Amino acid sequence: MDAAMSKPIIRLDAVSKTFQAPRGGGMVEALREISLDVRPGEFLSIIGPSGCGKSTLLSLVAGFLSPSAGEILFEGKPITGPAPERGVMFQDYALFPWRTVIGNIEFGPFARGVGRRARRDKAGELAELVGLKGFEDRYPHELSGGMRQRCALARLLANEPKVWLMDEPLAAVDLQTRIILQDELLRLWGDGVESADRPTVVFVTHGIDEAVLLADRVVVLARRPGRIKAVIDIDLPRPRAPLRSVPEVARIVDQLWSVIRDEAAMAIAEEGN
Amino acid sequence: MRRSAGLRHFLLSWLEPLSGVVALAVGWQIASMVAANPTLVPPLQTIWGALVDLAHGDLVNDIVASLFHLAGGFGTGAILGLLLALLCARFELVAAVIDPIAEFLRPISAIAWIPIAILLFGVGQGVPMFLIFYASLFPIFVNALDGIRRVDPTLVRAAEMLGASRRLVVTHIVLPAALPAVFAGARLSLGVGWVAMVAGELVGADTGLGYRIEYFQEFFSMEGVMATIVVIGIIGYLLDALLRLLQSSLLRWSPAHGGSR
Amino acid sequence: MSPAMRIGLPFAVVAIVLVAWEIAVRASHTQGLVPLPSGVVHSALALTEDGTLFSALGSSLERVVIGFAIAAAIGIPIGLAIGTVPVLDRTLRPVLDGLRGVAPIAWIPMAILWLGVRGDAALFVVAYAAVFPFILNTSEAARRIPRSLFHAAESLGAGRLLLIRSVVLPGALPFVFTGARIAMAFAWGSIIAAELAIGIKVQTARRAVAGIGQLMVDTLYVRRDVDALVLYMIVIGIVSFLIDSGLRRAQARLMPWTQR
Ligand SMILES: Nc1ncnc2c1ncn2[C@@H]1O[C@H](COP(=O)(O)OP(=O)(O)OP(=O)(O)O)[C@@H](O)[C@H]1O
Ligand SMILES: [Mg+2]
Repeated sequence: MDAAMSKPIIRLDAVSKTFQAPRGGGMVEALREISLDVRPGEFLSIIGPSGCGKSTLLSLVAGFLSPSAGEILFEGKPITGPAPERGVMFQDYALFPWRTVIGNIEFGPFARGVGRRARRDKAGELAELVGLKGFEDRYPHELSGGMRQRCALARLLANEPKVWLMDEPLAAVDLQTRIILQDELLRLWGDGVESADRPTVVFVTHGIDEAVLLADRVVVLARRPGRIKAVIDIDLPRPRAPLRSVPEVARIVDQLWSVIRDEAAMAIAEEGN
Repeated sequence: MRRSAGLRHFLLSWLEPLSGVVALAVGWQIASMVAANPTLVPPLQTIWGALVDLAHGDLVNDIVASLFHLAGGFGTGAILGLLLALLCARFELVAAVIDPIAEFLRPISAIAWIPIAILLFGVGQGVPMFLIFYASLFPIFVNALDGIRRVDPTLVRAAEMLGASRRLVVTHIVLPAALPAVFAGARLSLGVGWVAMVAGELVGADTGLGYRIEYFQEFFSMEGVMATIVVIGIIGYLLDALLRLLQSSLLRWSPAHGGSR
Repeated sequence: MSPAMRIGLPFAVVAIVLVAWEIAVRASHTQGLVPLPSGVVHSALALTEDGTLFSALGSSLERVVIGFAIAAAIGIPIGLAIGTVPVLDRTLRPVLDGLRGVAPIAWIPMAILWLGVRGDAALFVVAYAAVFPFILNTSEAARRIPRSLFHAAESLGAGRLLLIRSVVLPGALPFVFTGARIAMAFAWGSIIAAELAIGIKVQTARRAVAGIGQLMVDTLYVRRDVDALVLYMIVIGIVSFLIDSGLRRAQARLMPWTQR
């Protein structure tokens, strides 16, 4: 554990990101001097008010954007662009509408040149693993929101990435589905199983309780420009799924809420103007 | 009970469209009886006779020639339109030159090019082919470019994140994403191209269905003209139906096109 | 890219192409067979002076407007009928689709027979070309008005007339207008074709029939003036462009609630 701690899988070193606002507007400072080490195999949650730069942060780690200042290292090397070792689950699914469930899941292996038989078999297995058996030949528009989310997860798993970058993956599904998907996500990640090659998860969410339930650490971002306001360790035992109704969870959620309350209040006040 | 309802529905689905055609035919026949001169509105039996003669004569050749013009012009127009759209989407400089030129040329009807086409190619296959080429080029170019520019950037990111190369992104993300728009353009251009083709053959070619009309007119065979018109209408209708079928089978994934209708 | 470049670049490219063209034609001594850019400018100057171009253009446009009006008068009622009465739609659609598949120009021999060469035949072709966009778009507009809109307006106590004015028209008008735009483009395109086809038939006999299409036939077959031909093409292009952008702008102004 200590050895892993000393060598982060992702390191953000004073990372800032400034956007040129569209149509000749001014500059938007989305993130300012974010420094953060992500440990291998940990489940890290990021919470913060809308517009504080959570998606921007994930895009930087994914390699879709490059920082305006500072440096991002993956396993000690600078990130130069998107790569299959860092899988992303997007806020709005981003499934390929012209590909069936199987076609979406196998796209990663296909792009990396895996043979037809092998990738088909693997995609079939994954579809079953995420509970999409029987829906393999459906197109995304024929699926429910929860099923699309499962499909996006299976597509990510097909590449066996070392890091899962997840942008509010459960925001758009109903409450029951969300609870079920949280449990499954934990199961697929390897919750409660001690394993050296467990993937690292960076999980952006709006839900404080979701962050507490899933994560080892919660990063709280302050808004405009996005800065790290607090990093909170969640010392709950794993596996987590059975803890859903334990009072301890509610206590931590309350504690976290008090940290971000001022921030949220200010955000609302600003929006009012 | 249910079965007879199904039967009734089936019969109606055939009877209703048929009754429209029959009404048109009856109207025409009455007009031909009322008309002072039978050549003015040739009666159906004469048109049918001309159609049978035509079928025993040059009909197949005419249809093949017209479809050949259509395939040649539409093929080159569609390919060039797609290529230009890809180039314009990729290179801002190309777009800056092509876009305004296309905006100016686009509203000009293909038919207006007939004199220039005759001048350039002389009377022959070149005229109808050029007109169809022109008619297909712009709808496909404009729609494809619009489609490509509207490709959801997160889909491109998703593909890159999964390990797709640049080329793979173009062939497997950008092109399929633009396909509905391209199809809309293709249907538009095939409709306009068909009309332009008939016009081009009528005044600027010596083969094809349009030429056949011209030929019959030379001999004052109005029933021949009408027989050819019937053939042109049927084939024009079938072509659009074919493209519609292709569209709904290829775009089955798109909620707006495929599937249930 | 700066706005100046955005405008300047296409002009620059076109200018370079034209100069290269001029040089190539002169160098290969094909003047008279291949149009010459400077020759086009010449004939532009000559033709605007003697006025034939404008009178031809005027009479063509007159026919376009009349044919367009006839098409609207026939197409909009038919469209409304088949859009609101499903049985009519199912019976008439195949007939209409079939008739639409016939190129308007194919009717020229019949139209000449029925209406004569003096311009009414061209009018027939124009109206035929323009009627289908009216029918299609009007019927689509009528079909798209959601039933719930009627219910909503009714439950608010709106009378029949008010219902039509406040619900049906604003919903349907943009579609009909789009149909009119397409119809106008078809009308203008087919007047040229019709005049051309008729012009070729009556080349020498009846010079009185004026119009831009006949003028082109004359130029192509009688005067063999390739430069003038290109000039006419440019004029046609400009008129097409003006009609199209004018109607687009009108739609944006009159119906700001339409997208695009
Ligand atoms: N491409 C861009 N160009 C200009 N500004 C941008 C761009 N992307 C993001 N921004 C701005 O940067 C800030 C952070 O955006 P980001 O999408 O990262 O926020 P977020 O925390 O993910 O919000 P949400 O919770 O709503 O998803 C916002 O103010 C946004 O307007
Ligand atoms: Mg976001």
